[in-house]
Amino acid sequence: MIIQTTNLTKTYRLFEKEAGLQGSIKSLFHRKYTYKTALSDFNLSVSEGEFIGLIGPNGAGKTTLVKMLTGIIAPTSGDLSVLGYYPNKLENTFKKQYAVVMGQKSQLFFELSAGDTFLLFKELYGISNEEYKKNLDYFIHLFGVETLLNVQVRTLSLGERMKMELIVALLHNPKVLFLDEPTIGLDAIAQRQIRSFLKEVNETRGTTILLTSHYMEDIKSLCKRCIVVNRGMKIYDGSTEAMFDRYQTHKKITLSFTEETAIELPQNCVPVEQNPLKSIFMVPLDISQEIIYKLMKEYSLSDISIEEDEIGSVVERIYNEGQVKR
Amino acid sequence: MRKYLEVIKILFKTQITYRFDVAMTVLFTFTRILFAYVLWGAIFDQREVINGFTFPMMLSYYIFSSFLSQIEMSDGVSGEIAGRIQAGTFSKYMIIPLNTQGYFIAQTFGAMAFYFIFILPVTILWMAVLQLGFTITGSFSVILVTILMVLLGLLFMIQLNYFLGILAFKFQEISIFLMIKGNLVAFITGTLVPLHFLPQDLVSVLRFFPFYYVTYLPSMLLIGKNEEEAFTGLVVLSVWLAVFTLLNHFAYNKLRVIYDGVGI
Repeated sequence: MIIQTTNLTKTYRLFEKEAGLQGSIKSLFHRKYTYKTALSDFNLSVSEGEFIGLIGPNGAGKTTLVKMLTGIIAPTSGDLSVLGYYPNKLENTFKKQYAVVMGQKSQLFFELSAGDTFLLFKELYGISNEEYKKNLDYFIHLFGVETLLNVQVRTLSLGERMKMELIVALLHNPKVLFLDEPTIGLDAIAQRQIRSFLKEVNETRGTTILLTSHYMEDIKSLCKRCIVVNRGMKIYDGSTEAMFDRYQTHKKITLSFTEETAIELPQNCVPVEQNPLKSIFMVPLDISQEIIYKLMKEYSLSDISIEEDEIGSVVERIYNEGQVKR
Repeated sequence: MRKYLEVIKILFKTQITYRFDVAMTVLFTFTRILFAYVLWGAIFDQREVINGFTFPMMLSYYIFSSFLSQIEMSDGVSGEIAGRIQAGTFSKYMIIPLNTQGYFIAQTFGAMAFYFIFILPVTILWMAVLQLGFTITGSFSVILVTILMVLLGLLFMIQLNYFLGILAFKFQEISIFLMIKGNLVAFITGTLVPLHFLPQDLVSVLRFFPFYYVTYLPSMLLIGKNEEEAFTGLVVLSVWLAVFTLLNHFAYNKLRVIYDGVGI
């Protein structure tokens, strides 16, 4: 196992203060703290070469887990081993074997070109000249960023910058790559490019990848295995395909009408938003075709869009099922 | 060692990114010299010697101490560490395979390199052009000792600021510490007024503190004064440097485990 955690728990101490001037003065003399368990008794085993998706709503504990696995923060209790190391010891031999990319944080120097940061990381990780040249050539071609290497980072688009972040992270051939929302804020084209890049890195280089994302497409197209976290607890760990088959039970349909229409939703449909010119509702997957056909026949539509269930709904269903079992 | 050299290089590169900034910094070197010339010229207009200083000596002292205080750029270290801890982005330094203390030392030397490469030659050039009277020691060994003292002083200041920065792990808000340090340093380093002008009893106490040897003593040594204090200076600075290096090592290892990385 490349990653192993047993009963991993992280509790944060939070400063609490009543609103208002009185609250501020009170807190000068009497500090009040609350404790929040961000991750609770979390067990995880990851084998070499796996591509795992980590999903869950905001505040579920995903980023806390990534921060503990990379040694940025120390666990409150439990056992933890990544590549045979205890991450929070922050040993250089450990750091040279993994990389982490956080969607909204950067390792690039904005005043300089990405090429300058690459040179810095070449030395930081002790990459030989041949390996550096080989890896750099490989990645810049894969991403198609040959012409951007010497451009000031500040002037790059968000998508271009993310590609450079990934190149920085992968230059030293890490065994494990942690990705925290790498596609956040990117347009559809950039998202697709990054997905295909990550897929290639995982398949051709055997890099173990742990990916957190809010985008269904990231998880579906990349991760064979998926872990769902909610309120600091693991509520699903298994095949991504099986999870979506079982829990992605609805489609979201948006109908736009040519004129003001009072629509009567068929049975089993759950309304999301209704107004005379637009109707958004959820339809059970197994009867979606039949309902779409019926609606198209009955109403005068100017547009129709069919989307898959959002990750949030899937997580909610898994969570609710767990609650019912308990 | 090569990785630290690369950190120095990358920081130096960031310093010379914007041409207008570089040009203005170089230009202000001239105005600084000119202001000092006018100010001290007016003061020395009435008397030839003040407290054992002649006009060329005072001007030289000002230019040396001003240059040394300019290259002492460790202030940024405490600010950057504290800011990143507060914003939750300090992890940037925790995940790279490099000693954090070493990174900040290299980073400061990188920023300093700009002053050695651009400002020092320009200062010398302006002084030659303006034909200002200038006093510098003729002793090669004193110059060598001064260079060593300046190096130790700069390293100490980086360690001090690093220590103040990592206090943010515990206190989050450290601006009060930085303010106290700022006021203390401006006064004790002799940047504002040569310490020679202060009561001797006070100066004797200041000799036990490292700040005395960061700007003041090296500047005095360069104008050929206080040579008898050079050895003591090296010893005092080395002791303070060793204490803070160890203190930082233990403080960092103890404090970083309470880091929550909030903000990421």
